[in-house]
Amino acid sequence: MATIDCFDKTVRDVNTKLRDFVSGGKNDIHIINPESLHNLAVAITKAANITIDGSVGYYCAGMIDGPTIRINGSAGWGLAESMLSGTVRVNGSAGNGAAAAIRDGTVIIEADAAARLGVSMKGGLVLVGGNCGYMAGFMGQKGTLIVCGDVGAGFADSMYETVCFVGGEIAELGTDAIIEKPTEDEYSYLSRTLTLHLPTKMEAPGFAIDRFKKVISGRKLWNFDNQDWETWREAM
Amino acid sequence: MSNEQDINQRLLQQSSTFNSQVIDDIQSKAELGRYRMRGYGTLRQRTWATFDDLTFIPSTLTRIPLEGYRERCKTKTILGSRYAKKPIELEIPIMITGMSWGALSFNAKVALAKGAAKVGSSNTTGDGGMLPAERENSKVLIYEVLPSRYGINVHDLLSADGIELTIGQGAKPGTGGLLLGSKVRESIAGQRDLPIGVDQRSPARHPDFLGPDDMRIKIEELREATDWKVPIFVKMGASRVFDDVRLAAKAGADVIVVDGMEGGTAASPEIMQEHTGTPTLAAVCEARAALEDIGLYGDVQLIIAGGIRNGVDAAKAIALGADAIYIGTTALIGLNCNKPIYTEDYHKLGTEPYHCHHCHTGGCPVGITTQDPELMKRLDIAEGAERISNLLLAMTYEIQMLARACGKANIHNLDPDDMRALSLEASMICGVPLVGTNKVFSDGPGWKSKIGK
Repeated sequence: MATIDCFDKTVRDVNTKLRDFVSGGKNDIHIINPESLHNLAVAITKAANITIDGSVGYYCAGMIDGPTIRINGSAGWGLAESMLSGTVRVNGSAGNGAAAAIRDGTVIIEADAAARLGVSMKGGLVLVGGNCGYMAGFMGQKGTLIVCGDVGAGFADSMYETVCFVGGEIAELGTDAIIEKPTEDEYSYLSRTLTLHLPTKMEAPGFAIDRFKKVISGRKLWNFDNQDWETWREAM
Repeated sequence: MSNEQDINQRLLQQSSTFNSQVIDDIQSKAELGRYRMRGYGTLRQRTWATFDDLTFIPSTLTRIPLEGYRERCKTKTILGSRYAKKPIELEIPIMITGMSWGALSFNAKVALAKGAAKVGSSNTTGDGGMLPAERENSKVLIYEVLPSRYGINVHDLLSADGIELTIGQGAKPGTGGLLLGSKVRESIAGQRDLPIGVDQRSPARHPDFLGPDDMRIKIEELREATDWKVPIFVKMGASRVFDDVRLAAKAGADVIVVDGMEGGTAASPEIMQEHTGTPTLAAVCEARAALEDIGLYGDVQLIIAGGIRNGVDAAKAIALGADAIYIGTTALIGLNCNKPIYTEDYHKLGTEPYHCHHCHTGGCPVGITTQDPELMKRLDIAEGAERISNLLLAMTYEIQMLARACGKANIHNLDPDDMRALSLEASMICGVPLVGTNKVFSDGPGWKSKIGK
């Protein structure tokens, strides 16, 4: 395993070394003492297993395509933003805009996510073990967003085709968001996904897969309708 | 009584408050049940100070002109020298601004790329990501990172010669893009990860940062992603220009793009185009003053956009402090926008050549702002590219002509003292003397180097 010690290094130093390792074919890379540096491991475009021991700042794993990145700590804003593929797992919590605008890949936040989780997501899977803040899923275009706990106000506002599942309470639905009961296939998908990525959730006392609600777009904001004043007065 | 002869001409007086345009606006909204949308930018009578309120004062006895057709007048333009390892080098200072594939047709995007490349200039992607054909046909391509992040792709970003972090645009600062359902066809919907036929409303804010402190980190992310090789631009609609430019410069931008109120768009609420923003003339003055205020004028390059029509407007903007100029609507007009051809199709849209601002409909009669394959065929890529390269060169020659007449061997040596104001307002805004007075009225935009004092 290759190791990079961030102590006393700039993010430039760390990212340069990381890219050297990845392009040199090293598959297992361990980053220690990240000290909440911003912009760690951005734009990594090859497969590699990268473990970061400690909390990270803004935009960690932003714009990646392919690597598997595990953060043993918490993450600042914009975790994995705009990723194309790969997996990012945080065993703590994540700040605002986690998984913003991702096009594919998987983002797993074991604890809580702050506001605007998965905003403008265009594909992929976002999975939160705990709760999330307001405006999660805002303008979500495609992909799947799963929150095992409670979600804040304005949930799933103005979405296109993102499909959301919530295991806890929804403080308030966003404009044009509607609740549906998941199908049996969707319950099976949720069980498989949680078993794969967050198995301890499935084993937790009182956990029940049938508590999950499905939230999707009501599609009333897709095209303007001057007869639908109730919906559009919130959106125009 | 409907007989024309029975109309009393003396009583035919239109209200200046409720004139025909206002009546049409009210009745349209009563029909639509929403605000009006259209393309093109402001249609208002320009009662504010513009570049037309300035005149060059070429060399006579106090200065020596250069020979107009003999002596060299350099036009090379360098952008991004502050931090980028590879600043952008352009042969000319006129660049093509960001316009999306979606708003524009494939043929228009490729023609712009080819035309700009031919004369050593650049073009910019737009809200919808990068077209492979755009990269293949560009010499210098700037990749826009917009609030919507439609089509965001790290590989495209890494292939770009510059990155433009777009905060807003001059035609509609403070709002996101619009692409009405008629233009969201299969290919555009696929590129943007949207359902076919939706009225696409882009976000007004970036999904992962809010203010300038966060933006500083975002800019660093883009630099880290690109190994600090390419310049990072920050583009904004002209609003509180003095403060916004200082914030963008302090956040680490290499290049700041200020897009004035006269800037164009393919679709926007009409009121945003008509009643928001700072005019381009005032914007360039405030932007320069801002960079001077923080000691970064010259270190951070300034690109001015918004209704620049010709080399004269461009030369005046450069004299006031711009390093380069973006054109959008002017480039589209160069591609035949509003040309009196296919007149019957203008009529289908309810308009006429020279009056068309129906980019939002997708029915562009000349194949520019459309996704209709039949209409698109009307814009031949090779011919379009030739027109763009001709236009860019012609504008550059105009700038050179004015610079030589003012005794400048480099267009970037044009300065405010090469001009005089034709109106009191222009003198106050630009800080250049009013003709016939040799006085600057007010302190201008607050430049450190006062002109005429």
